Amino acid sequence: MRKMTADVVVIGGGSTGAGVVRDAAMRGYSAVLVDRSDLAQGTTGRFHGLLHSGGRYVVSDPGSATECAEENAILRRIQAPAIENTGGLFVATPGDDPAYGDRFLAGAAATGVPAAEISVAEALRREPRLNPGMIRAIEVQDGSVDGWQLVWGAVNSAKAYGARLLTYHPVTKIDVADGGVRAVHCYDQRRDDEVVIECRFVLNCAGPWAGQISEMTGLPPVPVVPGRGIMVAMNHRLVNTVVNRLIYPADGDILVPIHTVSVIGTTDSKESDPDHLPIPFDEVQQMLDAGEQLIPGFRRARAVHAWAGSRPLIKDDRVAASDTRHMSRGMAVVDHLERDGVKGLLTIGGGKLTTYRLMAEHIVDAMCEQLGDERPCRTAQEEISYDQGGHLYTVTHRLADREADRLGDQVLCECELVSRRMFTRLLSDQPVSTLDDLRRQLRVGMGPCQGGFCASRAAGVAVSEQAVDAERASGLLRLFLKNRWIGLWPILYGDQVRQTALDYWIYAGTLDVEHLPVPEQEVVR
Amino acid sequence: MSRDAIVVGAGLAGLSAALRLAKAGKSVTLVAKGPGGLGLSQGTVDILGYTPERVTAPLDALGKLSADHPYAQLGADAVAASVAWLRDELGPELLAGDPASNVHLPTAIGAIRPTALAQPSMLAGNITGGRRYAVVGVRQLKDFQADLIAGNLARSSAPDGGTVSARAAWIDLPARAGEADPSGLTYARAMDDPAFAERFADAVAAVAGDCDVVLLPAVLGVKRLGVWREVAQRVGRDVAEVSLQPPSVPGIRLFDALLAKVKAAGARHIQGSLVTGFASEGDRVASLRLAAAGGPRDLACSNVVYAPGGFESGSLGVDSYGVISERVFGLPLTATDARDLIGPDYWASQKLFAVGVTTDDKGRALGPDGPFRSNLYVAGGLVAGAERWTEKSGDGIAVATGVRAADAIIAGGAA
Repeated sequence: MRKMTADVVVIGGGSTGAGVVRDAAMRGYSAVLVDRSDLAQGTTGRFHGLLHSGGRYVVSDPGSATECAEENAILRRIQAPAIENTGGLFVATPGDDPAYGDRFLAGAAATGVPAAEISVAEALRREPRLNPGMIRAIEVQDGSVDGWQLVWGAVNSAKAYGARLLTYHPVTKIDVADGGVRAVHCYDQRRDDEVVIECRFVLNCAGPWAGQISEMTGLPPVPVVPGRGIMVAMNHRLVNTVVNRLIYPADGDILVPIHTVSVIGTTDSKESDPDHLPIPFDEVQQMLDAGEQLIPGFRRARAVHAWAGSRPLIKDDRVAASDTRHMSRGMAVVDHLERDGVKGLLTIGGGKLTTYRLMAEHIVDAMCEQLGDERPCRTAQEEISYDQGGHLYTVTHRLADREADRLGDQVLCECELVSRRMFTRLLSDQPVSTLDDLRRQLRVGMGPCQGGFCASRAAGVAVSEQAVDAERASGLLRLFLKNRWIGLWPILYGDQVRQTALDYWIYAGTLDVEHLPVPEQEVVR
Repeated sequence: MSRDAIVVGAGLAGLSAALRLAKAGKSVTLVAKGPGGLGLSQGTVDILGYTPERVTAPLDALGKLSADHPYAQLGADAVAASVAWLRDELGPELLAGDPASNVHLPTAIGAIRPTALAQPSMLAGNITGGRRYAVVGVRQLKDFQADLIAGNLARSSAPDGGTVSARAAWIDLPARAGEADPSGLTYARAMDDPAFAERFADAVAAVAGDCDVVLLPAVLGVKRLGVWREVAQRVGRDVAEVSLQPPSVPGIRLFDALLAKVKAAGARHIQGSLVTGFASEGDRVASLRLAAAGGPRDLACSNVVYAPGGFESGSLGVDSYGVISERVFGLPLTATDARDLIGPDYWASQKLFAVGVTTDDKGRALGPDGPFRSNLYVAGGLVAGAERWTEKSGDGIAVATGVRAADAIIAGGAA
């Protein structure tokens, strides 16, 4: 057993936890971030990649619209490399109510969301694949954002301020005694060891799993209902601008160009278990129909991957949800001092990735208030440092990088232009990673072939770099193939069937991956 | 001018059919969109590798397959004869072995894979208990990760039950000066120069150490056969090529050799043309429509051997609603709804890839009431009933169905 002490333990390495741990560390608290798996593996890694301009909320939720517009500008400044300045369009397609555009423009003006109507001809000039029958188009300042880059940037910043990060440390128990939180118990999966972190404060940022965490306190549990949404990534950037339907927010009304793909989303349905989120055939069909409405011929384009994420919705009558003076729109906070008479514990639900920094500010403000500290937030002022510099992301950056080093290095993943050196550098920083952990940061295996050509190379390089032995490498390869398949089989049609057949040919046919010596225990992390 | 046969597809099935027909004196046109599937394959000839247990005597194991497997209709004798015919046509420099027994060759991730016929350059890799293997990788060649391969072989038992000893070593030898990332094919082309092959062999000899067999990436020459012998001689030990993921140099060797034989036997070869449609006369296919420069072109034919491959080539496809179809003829398939044929478990059987066309005993595509057309034969990956990649059965099916179609035409099966 290991013992640690900290002012605050943040549970959950999604965007909320990452924002909070950075904020707390910058205000001088000693902080530990724990997650049961890798960073941003839950909801934060399973959205469509939209950095909201606020446009989506100008009619339905004006407060959120203003927050989004302000935070959008802040994030572009402090986390530029995680963000692509795609711009956004709201388009009314044939059959949509043209009058909604007037409400939209009035709402935008009232909420401070920059928006301007452009002609249909201009919209088609910018995005020639758009439905030529569209009736109105309004430009906004949407962007796309890489959730993994966002979270890793924030956590690395927190670490620079002394915060500690414990991934693959599921929480097993939270000690509550004498009306306050005392310690968090975790299990270190990699070292097979128990870790006890004595602390004054616990921020439960576990998102859809926050209900499960709350059960570990012995207090009345906080009911959290996962709201599942599916996303389908198309193999190409069918648009280079975020395209939204100019309608009251609905399902399948956003298409986001991010990295090499464009992502359509999303749906919303209640689930009981955030670890088992199906991608039903009829919802995929619904996304394709929605895509067809925005872009005629969408169904004939190639889909490359699908995933489901879950929004964490707190359902607790005793909670004053998003209208407390502390909190951000769409965010729900259970203050356990108010609810249960227990000091040092907040449970957070809801929220939006675009406003993650502001949410963190409010949460840490609430913590400071309870602790009686006056420590102002500085997260909006300080830029987060990234290896790649301080510029906004551009989709062509890796082409330029590989042009520069192609004579001196190998390309491990041709689809996403990941060099061997990129891979080995991250592997040496994070040697206990799975191939999926590395994938989320490098995009290795995320392109058209979905790892068909690069996954075995990556496994081999990991052995040669002495990060793992052949048995673990083979287990990691098996895990990677199994995980890729989860997002492939629901969208197997068109050219992706052909690709998948080739991948089977390579892995089963040529490499016979099924008949590698059987591992004693299947690698799961 | 109407030819005796148009063969569509330049994979193992189409090339086998075209060669057999041309050698029998038939006028043959071979039409292909691309260079076929051999360059994507492991470059050996599988008959049956798993049932799902490891198979050592593939012909004997054919009896364990279900009645709707292509081999059940073909029968072991026809499979054996077809594969032996191909081996003898290609000769001992390209294919060796006995269709009745499998060899067990290492793969480029260190699994031990059964196959029936292999190239002679691979045979020393037949994993045998008690032998010591050195896996020698080339730093510049990313598709042969020697440490992973050796590590996995070392923790395997040989199919004969013995223990395997394996270790990895690396050489540093660019295929072309200043190139950090050449493909296996680039190495193979470099190896066609005897001077480079010598340098390669010397580098391997320097690191091979104490071992019985040196396992090397399958890049030992593409035009020039027998480079492996020179390397073995210079290294002073047995060497064996291990097939890589595409581009497959051993597969390209088989493709080049078969295509040369098909042409030498008098067949006409149209490459780069996609078959887009057909016309019928009565119960016969009268002509095929080809996409060609300047516009479509119709080729009249007496018989068609249709061997375009399956899902991997796009001949079979699934649309966004989950409907499976065959691209050119709209042939009846064993299933048309993909939804229940693909499941969430990667390691489970994916029945989609066994969907295809059923045939009569001559190899003609079947419709609901007998042959779809009286002169339309199908061969290879389009034939229903096999999960080729997991079974390791695709090559045997391709050769045997290609030969079956050719023999039916030679016998004057259709007018």
